[in-house]
Amino acid sequence: MAGMAGRLEPHLQALRRELPGPAVLSVLLALLVVAVTILIWRAVQGRRSSRRAVLLLGLCDAGKTLLFARLLTGKYRDTQTSITDSSAVYRVSSDKSTNVTLIDLPGHESLRLQFLERFKAAARAIVFVVDSVAFQREVKDVAEFLYQVLVDGTVLKNAPALLIACNKQDVTMAKSAKLIQQQLEKELNTLRVTRSAAPTSLDGSATGVPAQLGKKGKDFDFSQLPMKVEFVECSARGSKGEEGDADFEGLEKWLAKVA
Amino acid sequence: MLDFFTIFSKGGLVLWCFQGVRGPAATAPVNALIRSVLLQERGGNNSFTHEALTLKYKLDNQFELVFVVGFQKILTLTYVDKLIDDVHKEFRDKYRNEFQQKGALGLLNGTFDFKDDFMRLLRDAEESSKVRAPTVMKTFEQSLKSQKTVKCMIETRGEKPKEKVKTKKNKGSKKEGAEAVTASGKASVGEKQQPSPAGDREELTKDEILQKNREEFFRRHMKAGEKSSKSPKPEVQKEKGKKPRVWDLGNSNAKVLDYSNPATNGSAEACPAEEFDPDRALGDRNREPGRLYDLEYESEDEAEEEKVLQNPSKPSVKKGGLGGMFGMLKGLVGSKSLTREDMDPVLEKMKDHLIAKNVAAEIAVQLCESVAKKLEGKVMGTFTTVTSTVKQALQEALVQILQPQRRVDVLRDVMDAQRHRRPYVVTFCGVNGVGKSTNLAKISFWLIENGFSVLIAACDTFRAGAVEQLRTHTRRLNALHPPESHGGRTMVQLYEKGYGKDAAGIAMEAISYARNQGFDVVLVDTAGRMQDNAPLMTALAKLIAVNAPDLVLFVGEALVGNEAVDQLVKFNKALADHSMAQTPRLIDGIVLTKFDTIDDKVGAAISMTYITSKPIVFVGTGQTYCDLRSLNAKAVVAALMKA
Repeated sequence: MAGMAGRLEPHLQALRRELPGPAVLSVLLALLVVAVTILIWRAVQGRRSSRRAVLLLGLCDAGKTLLFARLLTGKYRDTQTSITDSSAVYRVSSDKSTNVTLIDLPGHESLRLQFLERFKAAARAIVFVVDSVAFQREVKDVAEFLYQVLVDGTVLKNAPALLIACNKQDVTMAKSAKLIQQQLEKELNTLRVTRSAAPTSLDGSATGVPAQLGKKGKDFDFSQLPMKVEFVECSARGSKGEEGDADFEGLEKWLAKVA
Repeated sequence: MLDFFTIFSKGGLVLWCFQGVRGPAATAPVNALIRSVLLQERGGNNSFTHEALTLKYKLDNQFELVFVVGFQKILTLTYVDKLIDDVHKEFRDKYRNEFQQKGALGLLNGTFDFKDDFMRLLRDAEESSKVRAPTVMKTFEQSLKSQKTVKCMIETRGEKPKEKVKTKKNKGSKKEGAEAVTASGKASVGEKQQPSPAGDREELTKDEILQKNREEFFRRHMKAGEKSSKSPKPEVQKEKGKKPRVWDLGNSNAKVLDYSNPATNGSAEACPAEEFDPDRALGDRNREPGRLYDLEYESEDEAEEEKVLQNPSKPSVKKGGLGGMFGMLKGLVGSKSLTREDMDPVLEKMKDHLIAKNVAAEIAVQLCESVAKKLEGKVMGTFTTVTSTVKQALQEALVQILQPQRRVDVLRDVMDAQRHRRPYVVTFCGVNGVGKSTNLAKISFWLIENGFSVLIAACDTFRAGAVEQLRTHTRRLNALHPPESHGGRTMVQLYEKGYGKDAAGIAMEAISYARNQGFDVVLVDTAGRMQDNAPLMTALAKLIAVNAPDLVLFVGEALVGNEAVDQLVKFNKALADHSMAQTPRLIDGIVLTKFDTIDDKVGAAISMTYITSKPIVFVGTGQTYCDLRSLNAKAVVAALMKA
């Protein structure tokens, strides 16, 4: 200890000779302040960028905006095709302390990928809303969008929990969640093959071959994905029409679990 | 009078709605408006027709609201624009607090009780349109006619032509004087007086001959032709020389009809030598005889023009210097909302940039208009400049346009057709020389690689060598993928019936042949045709209407500029006109060829997708079988926006 101090002494004396006394202290103080600021800033950044968002995705007319309104206020609202995203903080009712940010993204073909790009990094969970009535007609489009979401690099890396909400169950012709699951698995199975065989993109962009979905050789199954996938039936409009409540206890429970 | 009036947020929540007289639900027409206008960047003009309704809309970009009014198409209501503006202002002022609150929750929880205000505004607007009294006719005393004197209105026939002749004569004499002056200046050149021919010219008067010769002489020697001197000549001639017409052919004398100047034609010594100026004729004395010089590159002229153009723009920059600096600071720090004047110079520059990148001119204009509409009134964030905001918005708009509006997965659809045991028919159409046959071969190679068998129908029965070209491709493809490696079946076959036959008939036979033989895909190659050629367009429309292909691909080259708009519009129109069905088959997709010949002038992609709103299915980047790509929207937009 003394030896070290002895070795340092000449250096300190040299320093003191170089600079006037108070300047050394002020320089050290300034450096300290800067270091502390950087640490605080990093901490704040870290907290802000933690993934606290639940994204509502789906095709056009699936019922995302109505679901968004119902979850937040419980009231029925008329809706039009969304052109931009809406976000609000949602308090999970059972546990008052946690809250998540619900983000409703537009489903139109020209916009969906752009908004997904913007918000995918912040996604803690994804709710994929499916129109159960029009599903038979739209199965290929639903599967394509779902495929695009699932093979995305960021989504694969973060593996947010995925809930497929089969909406519009109040209509009698609506398909059940089981049927939808089976159909989607079959469709995604075919899509794996056709998408990887598509002509390569113009640039030869970084994703030379799109990521393989599920296991090779075996038929595609939602259990093969790195994230947890659940299917739930719900109805944003509610069986009693516009005045009554929406039927989505399954959805609320899942949100509580995920938050 | 109005059918409905809705106010909704851009996020999709309807804030307030007014259902008019007997209107049906407003959602369907408004959705159609959103999908076809706002999302396809056609927001230039603010009205849109959907079935029986006309919809007018206004965007509020500050609070992200949309105001839409719908009324019957047959009515022409003049107060609608003013009504929208008034409602916009009132609504915004009344509910400013809800909007400035935390975004969506404010919209969700707020109750927008706007009915009374709206009815009041509507009543005001309707009354203001009725108030204008019918215009009263002016009485005779008020008109100008009663103030003219009687004398000046009387026209006398005889006076006018004389005045005209006098003035012409004055002009003529003045011109002669001018000529005399310049003639004396040119005395050094030599004698210029042409010998006035005495003999044959009895018909023309002497001074007319003199004048005529003088004019010829000066026309040859002076660069700036005195054209005005010619105009009095015909008039003077008409007045004076009424030549007697000699109709009897027997009496026509060759000499009478010979008006040529004997001085110049014939006798060589009478031809004045000084007319031929060797310097002027040969030009540059220093040139080597017999050598062909290159085209001179005039770079200094262009540089001068640029300097001239830049100078006027500089003073305007200097003028706005001080104000601009304060404005910039204000923009950096506070919340500044964008106005049209701020955006106009930036948009002009972006428009020129897009046109330089080969986007069709009218599309660039419409795009910039739409972006301006979207950004007007928007509040910029801190530390963002107008340029960056506009560029960002334009980039988003371009990516939006290039995103396909429907699924682009040919293999998936082929699999579907395979399951139903029918062939998947693809038709290629386009103008001459864009690469239809080449890209057809590339696409058949890709399909074979994926295990589908292809039948190529040679419906180009016009161009010499078209069938042989496809036969060569078939042979090559079969050599690359022999039947042995695919379980004994030939992967590609050509169906052709020679030249000169009807293309639609060949296509139909080819499809039924494919169905019998179990081919998976039929690729129909048609002859190239100009979009203005009506009979050929009819023939193409007939081929497509009769055979009902699964996919109609328009092949366009990436080199095309403004022509792309015309080609696509006319092709679609022809297909729509000649189809008997309710929903005619239009172009389903675009193949963009010769993409390797353009470096980053990729604007043709934008023009084509904007016009048809159909996706670009394939991109051709060369002439070998592997040069087939799919479109990457982000890469194309990056290349477009790159400086």
